[in-house]
Amino acid sequence: MFSIEHITHLIDAWLYGNLPPTLALLIECLIVGLAAITLFAVLGLVLVLMERKVSAHMQIRLGPNRVGPGGMFQTVADTLKLAMKEGLTPDGADKFLFNLAPYLVIVVSMMILAPVAFAKGVQLWDLNIGVLYVTAISSLSVIGILMAGWASNNKYSLLGAMRSGAQIVSYELSAGMSLISIVVLTGSLRISDIIASQQNGWWLFKGHIPAVISFAIFIIAVTAETNRAPFDLAEAESELTAGFHTEYSGMKFALFFLAEYVNIFIVCAIAATLFLGGWMPLHIGNWAGFNHVMDYIPSSIWFVGKVFSLIFLIMWFRWTFPRLRIDQLLRLEWKYLLPISMLNLLLMTLIAINGWHF
Amino acid sequence: MAFLNKYISDVFGAVRSLLKGMRLTGYYFTHRREIITQQYPDNKEQMHLPERFRGEVVMTHDANNEHACTGCTACELACPNATIKIITKFDISPEGKKKKALDTFVYHLELCTMCNLCIEACPTDAIKMAQTFEHSVTDRSQLTKKLNKPGSKIREGIE
Amino acid sequence: MSASALMFYILSAFILGAGLLAVTTRKIFRSAIWLLFSLTGIAGLYFWLQMEFVAAVQIVVYVGGIVVLIIFSIFLTQRSGMELPVPARGRILFSALAALAGFALAFTLIMGYHFQPWEGGAPLQGGMLAAGAAAGPVEAGGASIGNIGTQLLSADQGGYLLPFEVVSLLLLAAMIGCIVIAMKVKSADK
Repeated sequence: MFSIEHITHLIDAWLYGNLPPTLALLIECLIVGLAAITLFAVLGLVLVLMERKVSAHMQIRLGPNRVGPGGMFQTVADTLKLAMKEGLTPDGADKFLFNLAPYLVIVVSMMILAPVAFAKGVQLWDLNIGVLYVTAISSLSVIGILMAGWASNNKYSLLGAMRSGAQIVSYELSAGMSLISIVVLTGSLRISDIIASQQNGWWLFKGHIPAVISFAIFIIAVTAETNRAPFDLAEAESELTAGFHTEYSGMKFALFFLAEYVNIFIVCAIAATLFLGGWMPLHIGNWAGFNHVMDYIPSSIWFVGKVFSLIFLIMWFRWTFPRLRIDQLLRLEWKYLLPISMLNLLLMTLIAINGWHF
Repeated sequence: MAFLNKYISDVFGAVRSLLKGMRLTGYYFTHRREIITQQYPDNKEQMHLPERFRGEVVMTHDANNEHACTGCTACELACPNATIKIITKFDISPEGKKKKALDTFVYHLELCTMCNLCIEACPTDAIKMAQTFEHSVTDRSQLTKKLNKPGSKIREGIE
Repeated sequence: MSASALMFYILSAFILGAGLLAVTTRKIFRSAIWLLFSLTGIAGLYFWLQMEFVAAVQIVVYVGGIVVLIIFSIFLTQRSGMELPVPARGRILFSALAALAGFALAFTLIMGYHFQPWEGGAPLQGGMLAAGAAAGPVEAGGASIGNIGTQLLSADQGGYLLPFEVVSLLLLAAMIGCIVIAMKVKSADK
């Protein structure tokens, strides 16, 4: 049967069989890098189109419908336009940091991609602290935003960057807490272990109500961490023109835009991995027949399906809820999400110790 | 304890109201027939304009080429940006009495914001908003219109 | 020179270069960014040593916490966008001496420690594409997160329970202090 795992093993064996190990490793790194960049480009195109279509239909509009069948090539046209635009650097800006910031943001998103398991056996780096690695690296992304805000030498950018910093630093806590509650159940930080532990059912269902609560908190917190509406104070078109990327144009702006969408994909992939079993098909306890039928659907399709339904959920949030004020945003985190997730973690620990989960 | 009760009910109330909002957008998302976009100019033939769409101010004339405007200038006073200018004249009635009447209703379409205040101000319902919207012309002066038709006069019995 | 050694030298050069730029640049924000790069490079070095947990903690604490705090304080400082004046010569001399003394101390300490030669083969292993196959980190080396956790909370010989509790007490005190400072005092006459 067709599987990506099989192909990667073939490539791996062939390279190591015919080339010196260092060269083979280098070529593999190159392949992985190219694959990641391709994934980024495709994700950018697909997610932007999806966002525009979803938003249009939620606002009783049609959305892009002129370029290609059903507007399918609209984002391709947009990308071409952006690529041809001049990448302007303002005169008063700190030129080095201004030009560095978009690349930093993109590189950080690329780094988080490493421990994500795309299908059975398709994972770049299955390191033993997978979940911790994700939280650690995602805390780096705020630096790029702060850098962009400062280097633009623009008050809107600076305000946007400060808001974004306060927001990401706060919401990281509750996102981390909800991740830990699943780690408590699994007893491992390794992504492959977490997926394997969901062989007989996803944690969202196995972990009773606390798992549902931590899933909800995680989704809210990552929506805030990726600076998306209703938490898009860092950009807040109506108040700060475009926030931290006010001064950016052309491809540099496109990189910020791309990073936003790739970050959504990554956080949804993490949520799918922890709460919905990653590439694991839907298994229910000991129903052998049902589980067997579900196994016929390839694991990559399961993964992509889960991730995209979570992305749809986050888009649904964006096009339904109004933007929060900065004090409301911080109150939501410190007065509601954090205490609830702490209590929830305690409950989860109790469940894990007593073995009450299925 | 009261604090805790309020806290919990706050959380549940918030979740419920958010879900309510999501239900509405979810309904719109799944029901294509709710879409209100008009694909102009592709659908020029079957285009459907809402009843309250405001295109321009027109004066209604009946079959006898009679309108209901008394020249009271209420619309001119109501207009926020001097779109309407009413020029009046004095008619001599059969009894020999002088009576104020409309001579020219000047309407500057280029100044109009379609705010509907003139229509609301009119005591005799002489003017209304039309549904036409293709107003582009090559010369600005063509946008200044005379709304009462040539030779028209006021309908009998309207004061 | 193997690829692994090459990587080490690249990382070290990156760390040292960024650190040097951090102290020589005359723009305070750039200084913070160079510090950030230096600290990230150190995290990279930990990854190279396959001490993933330490590397992740390095990033969480230093990059995500301390540097962000530094950047925030720069943002909130007046006239922080200006170029800093060149410090007096005496000051440069003194700081160079201090750095040299620190380096000497670290150098003697490192030289005094007898390192055992590495026996586990090249730290970087194959199977980047098919990770499940070959990339086995050094679990037996005692650096797995489970071992670290047990050690951190064990009261036995060599356990870190007491320091852990002391630190948590310190953090609690700091937190209460923050709350006291931020708290609104209700005026008595109301």
